[in-house]
Amino acid sequence: MAVNSERQNGTLIARVDGRVDGSNAREFQTALESSIDSGDRIVVLDLEQLSYISSAGLRVILMVAKTLQRQGAKFAVCSLSTSIREVFEISGFDRIISVNASQEEAISAFKDS
Amino acid sequence: MSEKLCLKIGSEVAELAHITAAIESLAEREEWPPDLVFKVNLVLEELTLNTMTHGSHKGLGEIEIRVDSAAEALTIEIMDNGRPFDPLTDAPTPDVDGALGERSVGGLGIHLVREMMDEMRYRREEGRNCLTLVTRRTG
Repeated sequence: MAVNSERQNGTLIARVDGRVDGSNAREFQTALESSIDSGDRIVVLDLEQLSYISSAGLRVILMVAKTLQRQGAKFAVCSLSTSIREVFEISGFDRIISVNASQEEAISAFKDS
Repeated sequence: MSEKLCLKIGSEVAELAHITAAIESLAEREEWPPDLVFKVNLVLEELTLNTMTHGSHKGLGEIEIRVDSAAEALTIEIMDNGRPFDPLTDAPTPDVDGALGERSVGGLGIHLVREMMDEMRYRREEGRNCLTLVTRRTG
């Protein structure tokens, strides 16, 4: 599992690569939290290269979404596989987190809002 | 296309890697589609981690996992000697409809299992939790 991030025009794009399960969810949390700055206003988590996630990883995404909401930042995820989209839907995450087909769609949805 | 897997794991989180490796190998031989591999890994992780963290006591021994991969359905059995725990009735249903600020960050694992499997049966037998899960292979 790895998290790589970059900033593009004031948007933080964080890409997660590999598997996130109960054995490495804490590392995922540390990596994701350390990539986000308290001044970030738009954060997009790109899940295209995420092959697997269980409830331990979903918990981390929910915590990050809550933190960003408290700091007044916008948060979206993009590029979910069919299986990851299904776990998002069963968990009701698609109703509280913006789910997009691509990075571009996530960013333009925020710019339009 | 029908193969049975039997696996015994210890009660440490590091054992997850053994489950994943055994499932990946079975899935390759049985030509499972990617969504089935994902689902089986998820269900086994959620249930075994739940036993390791909530059902554990000093005498918790091995967790036994059996997977029967048949053409029409896949049957999973999980057995452990942890505290009695029926995931059908003993796990609260998490709030999946509330606003972001109100959501609790726990309790999703068993909910995912209940939603993703087609059948789920629990029995307590000879001091062991015995859980049978079925997912039908359609389409």
